[in-house]
Amino acid sequence: MTEVAKAVAVLDLGLRACTAYDRPDAAARLTAAREALADPVMHVVVAGEFKQGKSSLVNALVGAAVCTVDDDVATAVPTYVRHGEKPEAHLLFAAPDPEPPRRETIPISDVRRYVVEGGENGGNGSRVTGVEVRIPRKILAGGLVLVDTPGVGGLASPHAAASLAAVSMADAVIFVTGAAQELTRSEVDFLQRARALCPVVACVITKTDFYPAWRRIRDLNEQHLAAHCPVPLMPVSSALRSRAVKANDTALNAESGFTNLVKFITDQIGGNAADRLAADAAAEVIALCDQLDSHFQAERTALSDPEAARRVVRELTAVKSRVETLKSSAAKWNQTLNDGVADLTADIDHDLRARVRTVIAESDAAIEEADPADTWPEMEPWLQSRMADELLANYNMLRVRADALSERVGNHFHEASTALMSRPSVHNPTPMSVVADFQHKIDLQRMRVGKQAMVALKNAYGGALMFIILGSLVGVSLGPIGIGIGLVMGHRGLREEKKRQVQRRRTEARNAIRRYCDEVVFVAGKDSRDTLRRVQRQLRDHYSRLAEELNRSNAQALAGASEAAKRTQAEREQRLKDVDAELERVRKLRQRALAVIG
Amino acid sequence: MSLIDRTRVLLDHALPVYRGTEHAARLAAVRERLDAPLRVAVAGRVKAGKSTLLNALVGERLAPTDAGECTRIVTWYQDGHTYQVQATPNRGEPRALRFSREDGAIDVDLGGLNAKDVARLVVTWPAKALRTVTLIDTPGIGSLSEQNAQHTWDLLVPEDEETPADAVVYLLRHLHAGDIEFLRAFHDTEVSRPSPVNAIGVLSRADEIGVGRLDSMASARRIATRLGTDANVRRLVQSVVPVAGLLAETAVTLTEVEVAQLRRVADLPVRQAEELLLSADRFVNAMPELGLTNLEREALLARFGLFGVRLTSTLLRREVATTATDLSRELAERSGLTQLREIIGSLFVERSDVLKSRSALLALAETTRVCAQPGGEAVAAAVEEILASAHPFNELRVLSSLRAGWITGKPDVVTELERLIGGSGGSAHERLQLAPDTGAGELTAAAGQALARWQRRAENPMTTYEMAVAARVAVRSCEGMLAGLGQPR
Repeated sequence: MTEVAKAVAVLDLGLRACTAYDRPDAAARLTAAREALADPVMHVVVAGEFKQGKSSLVNALVGAAVCTVDDDVATAVPTYVRHGEKPEAHLLFAAPDPEPPRRETIPISDVRRYVVEGGENGGNGSRVTGVEVRIPRKILAGGLVLVDTPGVGGLASPHAAASLAAVSMADAVIFVTGAAQELTRSEVDFLQRARALCPVVACVITKTDFYPAWRRIRDLNEQHLAAHCPVPLMPVSSALRSRAVKANDTALNAESGFTNLVKFITDQIGGNAADRLAADAAAEVIALCDQLDSHFQAERTALSDPEAARRVVRELTAVKSRVETLKSSAAKWNQTLNDGVADLTADIDHDLRARVRTVIAESDAAIEEADPADTWPEMEPWLQSRMADELLANYNMLRVRADALSERVGNHFHEASTALMSRPSVHNPTPMSVVADFQHKIDLQRMRVGKQAMVALKNAYGGALMFIILGSLVGVSLGPIGIGIGLVMGHRGLREEKKRQVQRRRTEARNAIRRYCDEVVFVAGKDSRDTLRRVQRQLRDHYSRLAEELNRSNAQALAGASEAAKRTQAEREQRLKDVDAELERVRKLRQRALAVIG
Repeated sequence: MSLIDRTRVLLDHALPVYRGTEHAARLAAVRERLDAPLRVAVAGRVKAGKSTLLNALVGERLAPTDAGECTRIVTWYQDGHTYQVQATPNRGEPRALRFSREDGAIDVDLGGLNAKDVARLVVTWPAKALRTVTLIDTPGIGSLSEQNAQHTWDLLVPEDEETPADAVVYLLRHLHAGDIEFLRAFHDTEVSRPSPVNAIGVLSRADEIGVGRLDSMASARRIATRLGTDANVRRLVQSVVPVAGLLAETAVTLTEVEVAQLRRVADLPVRQAEELLLSADRFVNAMPELGLTNLEREALLARFGLFGVRLTSTLLRREVATTATDLSRELAERSGLTQLREIIGSLFVERSDVLKSRSALLALAETTRVCAQPGGEAVAAAVEEILASAHPFNELRVLSSLRAGWITGKPDVVTELERLIGGSGGSAHERLQLAPDTGAGELTAAAGQALARWQRRAENPMTTYEMAVAARVAVRSCEGMLAGLGQPR
């Protein structure tokens, strides 16, 4: 039985327990986990330099011409290729926060019009931020979403940073390089950074059909990768694969090298993601077991003798008020969250401003050294890519710090809640089942804690937002370059005049750069504030819900204990047997859930 | 007196002024250069295919096309009576080097010299193509990403400086125009800096753009045309043409043996040939009954590339060309080499007097600026007079201002101006956009109309100042054409 199937079975048991023990609140959580497990979404970002065959690779993988391939024009917006019952295509538009992106259905044959550079915009003039294509394919059925990233500008441009932003949200990255030459410095750099951001990275050499020397290139690349970033390397030929799919030619398919790639995607990428989802689901069940366990332990203690029952009721009543506090804004976790987000907002903003200042200083120095009339065409892309790098660094800082904050909030919450929930079990005569299990539980909670911030960030960025931010900033205009008639006349006597003009151009260039940087700070600043606000909301809602669950669990325990106090001796003995049986069931459920995590 | 004669006279006059100074030798060299063939450099980033293209232009495999010791040194290929290779070290006298020819390419024995200490190699080789131009192979600037990226623009040399080459062919790989790497191709400024006056762009490795499909060159042509209209490219080079370098080199060095080998492929039924040429691996290994050994097949791939093998076998099958000579011509045409040669002819060779004078005068101006000598001021004034008054220079200046977007106007007006001042070739029919075989009468009539049109534009008070200056230059160009056609105004 696969991990996923085990996890589904455990979840179903958990759901039945929820019905049996009247816990609709917990059932909602388990149902969500079950849905995620049934419909897993794994984003695989296909990235690489301009014209290395990214779109061809995606097309060859799914065996259909879903991404536009052109000799010259590059893909300009990300294309998401995923499973669907029948082929269909949607345009995605940016929507004001917090609405989901607006969609518009288009015929598949029209996709080309929107995804290439200089392509059309949507019906009412809003910007297309992505295209989603759904086709029925076995390879995609497991929830795989192939993301064909724009190749505009290559890795030395702002779009590289945007690709990295997309990579940081992805489950896996397939990096594409042609067999024409060995990996370049910027490609290796990109791979290294991608590897730091994403758990699964693979490098694919394309166009092996065209370059006779691809084996030499592969060997060279293997050396480079071994030295700088050890990731698997797979040579493929999209042309051969496409032909093999069309002709249903298994031998040719093997020759194309795609069998390895498909195996890698299904085993490594699909398998990994499924395992993670299964572990998440099992952790949800374990959390439920914890609550049920403490509830029945409390009732058991209460049943053992009337004196204990009164004490337990007293304690549980005290816990009730403490749980109320945990829900309120005065709770420590809530304060940590509010203060943390405020601090983080200020820090991120300061970091951004500091970075932009560095960029301005560097540009000023560069402008001072040369005539902007000569260097501006190069200065502009340089500035954009420099800025994109800084934005990415700033955004990474946000990501890391938000994760840390989320963990801190989670720890505070769990400290408080564990203290609460473990009180009744102090008098528990039976020892905790296994101490190691308890440790394990903490680790799991940590894991889920970290995820909360990522969920918020994923919702915020979706990998595509960086493209939008940078896209809206393209175009640093210098204004008309004032070149006087001196150049037309060519008189040396105008040397002084020329010098004056250079000075004027420098001033203009400096002003243009400042305007651009202002705009960047404005847009990016707003974006990170919004993101943090979303993170805050997400965390608050998550832990409030948990507190509510604890409250309910505690209320049930209290009811059970109060009832126990009223029971007769015979009834008590009878109930004690029942509770022991329930405890045994919960223990078994927990063991099964633990088995899924392995 | 023509421009080059005026330059010659001026240099002859300047030589005694600077005799005995450190600049004397340099000026003598400048004077000699006036009577030597035009110097054209092949520049671009590493791995752009410079040596391959140079071989194609010479028509012989001279430059080693693998990363050897020689390609790390600037190498000059010039015409001469004997075969010899000379090294000019950074310090010390030039010395002759021993060399051998292996597999066509020249293998030079540096004779104990370190490649870093050699300023340049001069290969003297009797070849027809080298009689009109001296070709300069450059090592190409290396990967800049290893240097500090923000200082890339330092590499641009200041304006108005003497450069070793009179004209440059820049090799560009197909990169996105938004890519900084793209513009860096023009940073190879060791021999000359790009200017729309003396530089053209070549979209190299054109066969790779369509990944070897038979219509790859059509794709490449479309891309080259688009690049040629890109504002950033226009201000650096005159036009961009696509060249499949490897195929061009093979075209001019094609052997009958190779044709016979490829004919075996061409004789296969279409479907089988297609299967065989599906991938490079298949071509080497599949179909042992073809009668070619693996080594022969690998050699064919190395010479033609997969695109070349596909194209050549198709040409043979369709009997577009049947002999090695015909095939050679056809491949030169299809690889873009013929077009490149034509463009070099019309933009560089025809204008070589102007380009050479320009190099010489820039060098002389530089000397007068840095070295004060009695009589130097008179030389400086004379240089300035020629630079400012010679009509060809005014044309070039207007041309670069147009290309840089400093002179603006209605698109059709700007296009006509650019052509009239010789932007697409110096001959009268090219300037007037008429067929090459147009009669003198028709040319005269057209030139007269253009003259009247541009005179009106120059005098129209609504014309912008820049455009008026440019229009006056155009008027002079028309007058020059009329004078050349033998019709007094």
